[in-house]
Amino acid sequence: MSYLEYSVKSTPSGPRKILYLNWPLTLLLISVAGVGFLMLYSVAGGSFTPWAEPQIKRFALGMAVMLCVAMVPIWFWRNMAAVAYGASIILLISVEFFGSVGMGAQRWIDLGFMRLQPSEVTKITMVMLLAAYYDWLPAKRTSRPLWVLLPVLFILLPTFLVLRQPDLGTSILLLAAGGGLMFLAGVHWAYFAAVIAAGVGLVTAVFRSRGTDWQLLKDYQYRRIDTFLDPASDPLGAGYHITQSKIALGSGGWTGRGFMQGTQSRLNFLPEKHTDFIFTTLAEEFGFVGGFSLLALYALIIVFCIVTALLTRDRFSSLVTLGIAITFFLFFAVNMSMVMGLAPVVGVPLPMVSYGGSAMLVLMGAFGIVQSAHIHRPR
Amino acid sequence: MIRTPLRPLARILPARDKGENPDAIERENIRKRHEEMQDRARSRAESRLLVLGVFFFCAFAVVGARMGHLATSEAVEPVASATGAAIAAQRADITDRHGRIMATNFETHSLYAQPPQMVDPLAAAEGLVKVFPDLDKERLIKDFTGKRKFVWIKKRISPEQKQAVHDLGDPGLLFGPREMRLYPNGPVAAHVLGGAGFGKEGVSAAEVIGVAGVEKQFDGYLRDPANGTKPLQLALDLTVQAAAEQVLYGGMKLMNAKGATSIIMDVHSGEVVSVVSLPDFDPNDRPQVLVEGDQSDSPLFNRAVQGVYELGSTFKIFAAAQAVDLGLVNAETIIDTSGPMRVGGHPIGEFKNKNYGKISVSEVIVKSSNRGTGRLALQIGTKRQKAFLGALGMFDPTPFEIVEAAGAQPLLPKRWTDLSAVTISYGHGISTTPMHLAAGYAAIANGGRYVSPTILKQKGPQYGPRVMSAEAALAARQMLRAVVTSGTASFGEVPGYAVGGKTGTADKPKPRGGYYKDKVIATFASIFPAHDPKYVVVVTLDEPSVHTYGEDRRTAGWTAVPVTAELIGRVAPLLGVRPDVEPGQVAGITLTSN
Repeated sequence: MSYLEYSVKSTPSGPRKILYLNWPLTLLLISVAGVGFLMLYSVAGGSFTPWAEPQIKRFALGMAVMLCVAMVPIWFWRNMAAVAYGASIILLISVEFFGSVGMGAQRWIDLGFMRLQPSEVTKITMVMLLAAYYDWLPAKRTSRPLWVLLPVLFILLPTFLVLRQPDLGTSILLLAAGGGLMFLAGVHWAYFAAVIAAGVGLVTAVFRSRGTDWQLLKDYQYRRIDTFLDPASDPLGAGYHITQSKIALGSGGWTGRGFMQGTQSRLNFLPEKHTDFIFTTLAEEFGFVGGFSLLALYALIIVFCIVTALLTRDRFSSLVTLGIAITFFLFFAVNMSMVMGLAPVVGVPLPMVSYGGSAMLVLMGAFGIVQSAHIHRPR
Repeated sequence: MIRTPLRPLARILPARDKGENPDAIERENIRKRHEEMQDRARSRAESRLLVLGVFFFCAFAVVGARMGHLATSEAVEPVASATGAAIAAQRADITDRHGRIMATNFETHSLYAQPPQMVDPLAAAEGLVKVFPDLDKERLIKDFTGKRKFVWIKKRISPEQKQAVHDLGDPGLLFGPREMRLYPNGPVAAHVLGGAGFGKEGVSAAEVIGVAGVEKQFDGYLRDPANGTKPLQLALDLTVQAAAEQVLYGGMKLMNAKGATSIIMDVHSGEVVSVVSLPDFDPNDRPQVLVEGDQSDSPLFNRAVQGVYELGSTFKIFAAAQAVDLGLVNAETIIDTSGPMRVGGHPIGEFKNKNYGKISVSEVIVKSSNRGTGRLALQIGTKRQKAFLGALGMFDPTPFEIVEAAGAQPLLPKRWTDLSAVTISYGHGISTTPMHLAAGYAAIANGGRYVSPTILKQKGPQYGPRVMSAEAALAARQMLRAVVTSGTASFGEVPGYAVGGKTGTADKPKPRGGYYKDKVIATFASIFPAHDPKYVVVVTLDEPSVHTYGEDRRTAGWTAVPVTAELIGRVAPLLGVRPDVEPGQVAGITLTSN
């Protein structure tokens, strides 16, 4: 069954579409973003500036973007997938030449009114392309080597470009999201087994290469791994983040110290407390209850994405929805793990909560596609 | 894979019979097959989704469990001091020969900042500038508000300063314990001690390392924990050293010299009980090394062991001693010192173009005749002269255990010609340090055996190989005594101490060749008491000039000698040498006097 077989009458049209939004998902997004506003307000010491206010504006813009994307039929997005992917690759390459350098990495293109982070856009366009690819590919060819190689290339190209910026966190996210999507598309188990085996081999190589001429990662990346493995080795240096955030989590206890009462984040013990490490503020001020609630909100977002994926009948809709769910899941899972010392520190923000423009806008756009799939599903 | 045919004859044939279009059956079958495939793909996708869902759930469970674990754990501050290799901070003391402290350790604090922990960086910077006026406020603010996580503010602060900073009350300003090297006597023996600085610096400790002098030379020993608290005992006598510095400083000022150095050395053990180089510095606050200009003008420059000078006529005694040792002459042998004398085409002249005529070897030394020692050198010959000076250590780097000594290499002629032999016999064409000279005079003073100067306390005499016969040494000593009693060093007489010695005044070489007419190095190398020498005293003044009796005088007899006399008169009692009546002339040799 393809899109053209839809009875156009069976999908809502015009302004009525807005009634058919995935409303639970929309409300969940608003509440998660609300948590973010609260935290940014608290981190700034009870002030809307410098973070909460711009974040609210961006979220409003993001909601508009989401609604606009949602209104456009999902098959338009399928047809645009290849174009969008190509455009984001071009953007990634152009960062190499025109990007401004921030925090030791070249990740942004300055558009004047905002800084565009092409790697953020690529996370979504790559998912779209893969979903469109498997929608197009006859099911019986899914596991043939040549037809497996092609999506692998689609994944590796942006991964490589992002790794060059260098942004290890995003490239891992790209790799994992693409792999997850291929898994969902039904590629044979054996491929994944082979990739995991190769991954183990690569990790070994990475550690073996340390200190040699062909060192695969930068020194700071090795240090982060070291710090992850033993944060106590350097509590004032690279391990500072993790140690301090663990203290914050511990001092929060079950119910937390109360809104705006966190000491660790208030007294500036934590750098980047408004971006990647904002979860520590939440955990300190609202304790386990607050942290777990946020986790539950995230889980519900995933659940409603899966619901949408199950309601749709075509491959693109379900795969793109699930792909976005995986990307979103990876975002907060990696961020929370890293804050809690379960994973090395890679620069991954807490989605919808961390201060940051392009990540939020791109995510809202992605949820717009999910909404579009939800609205334009066959009934 | 068994496929159901798209056009099963069982259906098509009846359909044809009925006149229906068999293509419809095919289309229907194609649709059915397609739906079947869709359903299969879908069911597989759903099983995959289930796997993913389980994975998601596990991830949620892990994150949630971790969150609970952290929430229930105690918030433990990391112990910063647990990190960083332990720095062995204890450094052995340095004492003088009587165990008086010359260098020790002192507990103090360092001040550093951790800007991420600062509550109010601007106020902290303002407060710090009030406590430490030398700090730059703008720079502090920049450091505190930038990305830096750690900023050194002061490497060492006093307890009062610490309290003042403490009162600022900013949690981002932190103190670290810090051991520092203290030289309680200030500039006394600065060049010997050298100084210490910090090597590896941690927040909670810093490694003290020697940067010059004995601190660097014996750095390994001083840092070795195996030595415990056993101090490094020097040969220096703190009292003598302080007195010598005072006398020499006065002498340097009086003689309008730009620098001065003195060495007092035990002629038997080689122990250097005092070595002074002026100008000096305070090792507690070592000055910066000069970045331009002549390093020898820096107060850090140790003239006694680093200053390589032509020491002039002080070398004459070596020629006389060797000539006696070889049996070529004795003290009374008459030498014709009348001019003109040419060696290798060069005229050999005397001071102020004097002509001493035919005089004895002893008188050659007393009057300091260049032509006289030149004749002796020609008799000795280049080979034997070279061997003798080599045995006295004149060709080796300064034999002294401070780190600067090894770099001071004497300057020697490239080819040792007859002319070289003649000029070297009166101390030109060879440049050595005053320490070399002291070692050479010690050999004469102790009866002909080489002793190496040492900064470390020794037990008893440390004689090296014999370099001349005891008789030759005795004859040389008597000549040296005569120089004071009746020669160029008549200002050197110190009642009761029977000083003997030889003056030397060498024109300073210009950097681009040739000699200055009005800049000299004036040296007086002396021994006392001459009849039973205990100590060698070498005093060298750099560019001295005094105006006495109507003329500018630069020669050692007018400059270095009176300073030495003052020095000996001052330190001899400190050294335990009692004034004594000089015994009668020994060995029947009559000291002639004019």
